[in-house]
Amino acid sequence: MNMTLKNGLKVAGLTFGLAMASAVTPAVAADDVLVIGAPLALTGGLADEGKKQQDVWKLWLDKINAAGGIDVDGKKMQVKFVEYDYQTDGKRAGQLAEKLITDDNVDVLMAPFGSGHTKIIAAVAERYQVPMLACVASSTSVYDQGFKYLFGTLAPNTGMTESMVEFFKAQKPDLKTVAIYGRDDVFPKSMASALAASAESGGLDVVYNELYAVGTMDHSAAVSAIKSANPDWVYMTGYTQDLILGRKQLSDMGVTSPIITMVTGPAYREFTEGLGELADGVTSSTWWHHSTAYTDAVGPWSTTASFYADFTAAYKSDPDYVHASCAAAADVLVSAVQAAGSKDKQAVRDALAATDILTFYGPIDFGDNGMNQGREMPIIQVQGDAIKVLYPESIKNADLKMID
Amino acid sequence: MDILQILLNGIVLGSLYACIAIGFSLVWGVLNIINMLHGSFIILGGYLTFFAWQYSGMNPVVILPIIAIILFGLGYGLQYFFINKVVMAPVLTTLTLTFGLDMILYNLMTVLFTATPRRVTLDLGTLSVGDLYLPIDRLLGMGLALLLTAILFLVMRASKIGRAIVAVRMDRQAATLMGIRVNHVYAITFGIGALMAGAAGAIFSMVFPITTNLTGTFLGKAFVICVIGGLGSVPGALIGGIALGMIESIAGYTIGPQNATTVGFVLMLILLVVRPTGIAGVKGYE
Repeated sequence: MNMTLKNGLKVAGLTFGLAMASAVTPAVAADDVLVIGAPLALTGGLADEGKKQQDVWKLWLDKINAAGGIDVDGKKMQVKFVEYDYQTDGKRAGQLAEKLITDDNVDVLMAPFGSGHTKIIAAVAERYQVPMLACVASSTSVYDQGFKYLFGTLAPNTGMTESMVEFFKAQKPDLKTVAIYGRDDVFPKSMASALAASAESGGLDVVYNELYAVGTMDHSAAVSAIKSANPDWVYMTGYTQDLILGRKQLSDMGVTSPIITMVTGPAYREFTEGLGELADGVTSSTWWHHSTAYTDAVGPWSTTASFYADFTAAYKSDPDYVHASCAAAADVLVSAVQAAGSKDKQAVRDALAATDILTFYGPIDFGDNGMNQGREMPIIQVQGDAIKVLYPESIKNADLKMID
Repeated sequence: MDILQILLNGIVLGSLYACIAIGFSLVWGVLNIINMLHGSFIILGGYLTFFAWQYSGMNPVVILPIIAIILFGLGYGLQYFFINKVVMAPVLTTLTLTFGLDMILYNLMTVLFTATPRRVTLDLGTLSVGDLYLPIDRLLGMGLALLLTAILFLVMRASKIGRAIVAVRMDRQAATLMGIRVNHVYAITFGIGALMAGAAGAIFSMVFPITTNLTGTFLGKAFVICVIGGLGSVPGALIGGIALGMIESIAGYTIGPQNATTVGFVLMLILLVVRPTGIAGVKGYE
């Protein structure tokens, strides 16, 4: 079929007109629908993490819909997610957050993965006074900006490093030296500096402490320097692909430290799958692991085990802390809307600030800066094909094994 | 002993870098196309190798020729049916087209394979001589880079198709008058570029975690290596790769890994000002 240029222009004009007409129609949400806006990194560098958030919220929403919505003030309220892909571009994330608030009239925002992008969106949410839940941002710098509408389900990084230094010193009394190697990015960098401070205050000698740039494809120079320093403990932070490469190069170059910690490598299944036997013995701290067993929780999953069962049935893989924390953030939101009795932004914000509940993910109790204060975070280790919990005592199921 | 280890690390890493850049340099030098698809081609080669290994247990080295042929076919088809339509347009047009095609390929891979990092966990061990350590998979990558460079060098110098590629690059009109099918030669050249990327991806699947997140990083490295090594000469990519590997390795050890990648870009900027042809480039190709 041959279309003349004139006809083509008419069709294009009509299509454009229709598109514009639908774009300018104001989206006004009904009072009985809770609209949650989520800018997600579905493509680009954080695509894997963005997909995790999308997956777990779909699972959560299916549960809510199956129950006919949520009960608010004696009536059923429906829940809807509006998601946009911000392509792992922080600037675009900020623009999309603004669009979600002004065009889509969302009632609440969910932050994307990582402290860096959460920080950008938190500023937008604060400007429009829209409550925002951050489920994958743990750097205190995100929360120490005096924002009133920001709440985070992860606990501060510093709590992780102090307990880890104390735990390893107790397990290995001759532990003296540590090498720290972190990715120059908000969360990994803050973990590396927190560990350096905790190690020094705990009496350890920090023999190597360097950052590597985002996009580093090779760690051999750093690994050679670490090898020369011969530390008792190697502590590396970064995203999964960095940690797989880092662990492999530590082995390739003959580094024989008895404790190797990679934050938060073993919390992800792809870390152990990408390393095979080399993952054995690697430790990490994490915010959550599915072997923790909370019961009598609020929300669609009353136990950790029921969440694990639903998730594995839906996605044929284990959930990690990103999945759990983001599902728990949705639970917290529902709990706050129920407590407020409406989806009024100010009332929901106040109810969030007063939150003190137990979810399948663990207790959630927001402190003055909006961060979750109610958590004791586990230290985990890869032992054979399994992930074992070493700490805290209450949920531990194995002892620390040194790497041969 | 440390300095020897650092130099060795640099040479091995540089050879892997050369693997990344050879195909990119060829396409840029001959077709005058900045192929934004190159990073995605490498990752596609890596994914195909990973899945072939996972489902059949075949060694990546054995799978490599098959992957390379598949990528050649893909590259040939893309050039023949799409890029050839605008190949005579200014470089920005072909850059935009390959950028668009890259977005399609990149997103297709993210949807089909997810961005989860995957690696062929076939650890070949380490060769140690005294205090020096050389990972065997990286040595294999280095051998492959040298082999690919040698083969491409010979193809360009001694084969009929190689001479046709050079002839088209020198004077398209004259080559057409001599009976060379220019569109076919363009497609073969782009196909060879994709083949090299696929072969690099197959080797990398054992060394680096393969994820779509790395496409931009690979492309950036290829760009820097081509500027350092120079365009229009096959050994240029090898020289540029090894130079960048050495620079990053020495800088990473002396001034810290945080600044190592920056040093590579600074060198690129300096070369662009003082020697636009790169270390081994041919005049007129810059």
